[in-house]
Amino acid sequence: MSTLNDHLLAAHEAGDITSLIDLYTQAGDSSQGSDAAAFYLTHAMVFALELGDPRAAVLRARLVAEGREEA
Amino acid sequence: MAPQLTDLSTVRRPIAEANGLPNAHYIDAAVFDEERQAVLFDNWSGLAVSADIPDVGDAVPVTFLGMPLLLVRDRRGAVRVFQNTCRHRGMILVDAPRKIEGAIRCPYHSWCYSTEGRLVSTPHVGGPGQNTHAGIDRALLGLIEIRSHIWMDVIWINISGNAAPFEVANADLMARWAEFDKPLFHGGTSSRFQLSVNCNWKLAVENYCESYHLPWVHPGLNSYSRLEDHYHIEQPGRYSGQGTLVYRQLKGEDGKSFPDFDGLADKWNTAAEYISAYPNVLLGVHRDHAFAIILVPDGPERTTENVHLYYTADDTDADLRDRNSALWKLVFEEDIFVVEGMQRGRHGVKFDGGRFSPAMDGPTHLFHDWIAAQFDRHRASDHPAAHAAE
Repeated sequence: MSTLNDHLLAAHEAGDITSLIDLYTQAGDSSQGSDAAAFYLTHAMVFALELGDPRAAVLRARLVAEGREEA
Repeated sequence: MAPQLTDLSTVRRPIAEANGLPNAHYIDAAVFDEERQAVLFDNWSGLAVSADIPDVGDAVPVTFLGMPLLLVRDRRGAVRVFQNTCRHRGMILVDAPRKIEGAIRCPYHSWCYSTEGRLVSTPHVGGPGQNTHAGIDRALLGLIEIRSHIWMDVIWINISGNAAPFEVANADLMARWAEFDKPLFHGGTSSRFQLSVNCNWKLAVENYCESYHLPWVHPGLNSYSRLEDHYHIEQPGRYSGQGTLVYRQLKGEDGKSFPDFDGLADKWNTAAEYISAYPNVLLGVHRDHAFAIILVPDGPERTTENVHLYYTADDTDADLRDRNSALWKLVFEEDIFVVEGMQRGRHGVKFDGGRFSPAMDGPTHLFHDWIAAQFDRHRASDHPAAHAAE
């Protein structure tokens, strides 16, 4: 997780939104507990929305399924 | 009735008896604040041009009279003007021109808006990982959209939302220039320039309205464009300006000129018109090009003039465009000492607003009269800003 964290910080530093989507999705996928997973997937969704990346819809659907996002 | 900051009764007299607006309308911060609402927010003011945001997703923040605004070309290609303020904690959303690829993300807590202004994401609003809350209705929290209209490529805004529809408020002017209601092609980089002048924005309007000053301030025009070749354009309560009967086209070394607008009446072979579209847009039309000058009031004694030149096609000769821009820039720069001189003159405490030539200053008096009418209306209303002096 520390490597992932390092990558996240680097991507934030670089403003690399495409990588942020990937990395936050990975963080969500590897989290223990639904709150933590939803937290990271929310970040991934937000950056996907900002970029107009089609992954936003997938991430959104996952959050909706968990009752975390408006249907 | 609130005490009034200025007495405008003499401004609205017939021209032969009228005074100009009092000094306070040019130098006083309190009157400038009153004018912001009465004149510039309550009417259709020019903000920018749609050529500033040519492509889908283009976003440009603009501050207009202290108000943060955001120009956006939305997903469907429509121009929108939003208040550049997040509905959450009031953060500025976009602080430099850029391309919006997907959503407008607030840099503070990442609330996201579509380019149409819909609030599409409220991350963690219900707690970590919970993006909804019963108290937050996204449908009610979209970006505040400012009423806008495009005409002559100018983005006009009515911030109060109370003005008549643009096509109604400006019906006379739109009808007068219906022949120019055709696609306009911005001339590109050299066809946009900015002048910063140390004067109140109204002085630029007043100077633009009339031809009286031309032989004195623009002597280069005397050789072919004499004072008697000009006529007044006077539409009380609407707009004013001047026209010329001897417009001559610019020609390149090959003898070619810019292509004409299609379908113009014969009178435009030699006519050109220059109109102040109240309050703050100066427009000019000719058989082969048009221009718009948007006056941005930066304070009582400071104005930015954003100048844009347009042509009838997107493939006009670049060298000729450069020459045309240089010619107009010279003319507009020749006016700077006049408007800045009038600004300094407005600190003469015994100046009474001046008088008007009944023969030559009609268009300028109409502008003063219109400004005074806006203050009269505003002061008679119950708007809180009208009672700022209480």
